[in-house]
Amino acid sequence: MTTMRKLTINQDIQANNKRRAAELRSAFSDRGTFVVNLVSSPGAGKTSLLEATAKYWGDRRRMAVLVGDLATERDADRLRPYVPVEQLTTGGACHLELSLVERGLQRLPDEDYEFLFIENIGNLVCPASHDLAEHLRVVVLSTTEGDDKPGKYPKMFRTSQAMVISKSDLLPHVPFSIDAAIDDAHLIQPSLSVFSVCSLTSEGIAAWCDFLEDARQRVQNLANVDQECAEQ
Amino acid sequence: MHEMSLIRSLLKQVERLCEQNDGTAVEQIEVEIGPLSGVEPLLVREAFEILSVETGCAGSRFVIHEVPLKVRCSDCQAEFELPSFVFICSGCQSRAIQITSGNEFRLLNVTIQANQAANTPKPRGGGYETEPIA
Repeated sequence: MTTMRKLTINQDIQANNKRRAAELRSAFSDRGTFVVNLVSSPGAGKTSLLEATAKYWGDRRRMAVLVGDLATERDADRLRPYVPVEQLTTGGACHLELSLVERGLQRLPDEDYEFLFIENIGNLVCPASHDLAEHLRVVVLSTTEGDDKPGKYPKMFRTSQAMVISKSDLLPHVPFSIDAAIDDAHLIQPSLSVFSVCSLTSEGIAAWCDFLEDARQRVQNLANVDQECAEQ
Repeated sequence: MHEMSLIRSLLKQVERLCEQNDGTAVEQIEVEIGPLSGVEPLLVREAFEILSVETGCAGSRFVIHEVPLKVRCSDCQAEFELPSFVFICSGCQSRAIQITSGNEFRLLNVTIQANQAANTPKPRGGGYETEPIA
């Protein structure tokens, strides 16, 4: 004889993933690795930004990159002259998931990196819903895309902590207002830090890198406090 | 279109719950979706209909509750529904707005058919409660 039973769950469908991401983030903090999830539309300039960042830091900072694409090793090939890099190919999936990041990590040389960049699949929709254990989510918006983009993709801009406006050298040639883009983004996320860069000429890259170093230091200070509390 | 991958993991979770509770069939699944969940209810339903066929959830009722975007102003403490994704307090114009509801894609509850003998809930570390109905 059977009976009907209602099981009350009331749990986020991604609860398991979010818990794993939080654990991994904490492990990164303990190792001193600051993790940045770079998101944007396809072609906004994520790989170019990473090339410029790697060139700016040179040997002064230890950084590594996990780069996601549907197919090919092209982005990894571009970055390989500068930094340890692993290409994550998703087949057809529109976003990176934590398990892919974990697999990529196993293939990277096992070192204590100060910065790990995860270059997500070019897509302003799905990657917004997936925690990849990052400390910082950065959305890259290029001047060729239009300054009205933030409002059209609210979740991505709401869940990011910084916005990099790329291809600033094209500003004289395209109808893009930096102020309008910032105003639109700030309606969704008022605490968004904003940087304007040109990766080809390195304009604005120093300020972007200083911001990353400050952000890493803040996470390190918190991790140190946690460790001291745990020891007491 | 990541609704497919989310529904795939939801179906696995529900099958596991059903099995852990000596269920013989899944009758109903209720979920909650907010405007900032990153999923589209219509596509979630389509994904469920396509993917549930070959699973233990085939034939079950899939109920979606759409919840509004609700926020609290950190300055004037007003709580209100946000009609658009413009995060400004309608009362004091502050931008210090916290979301209280609207991010969620949650599994609320699962109704199963279970053997009578299994009516006493067994704690199996799932962190959920069970209640007999009718």
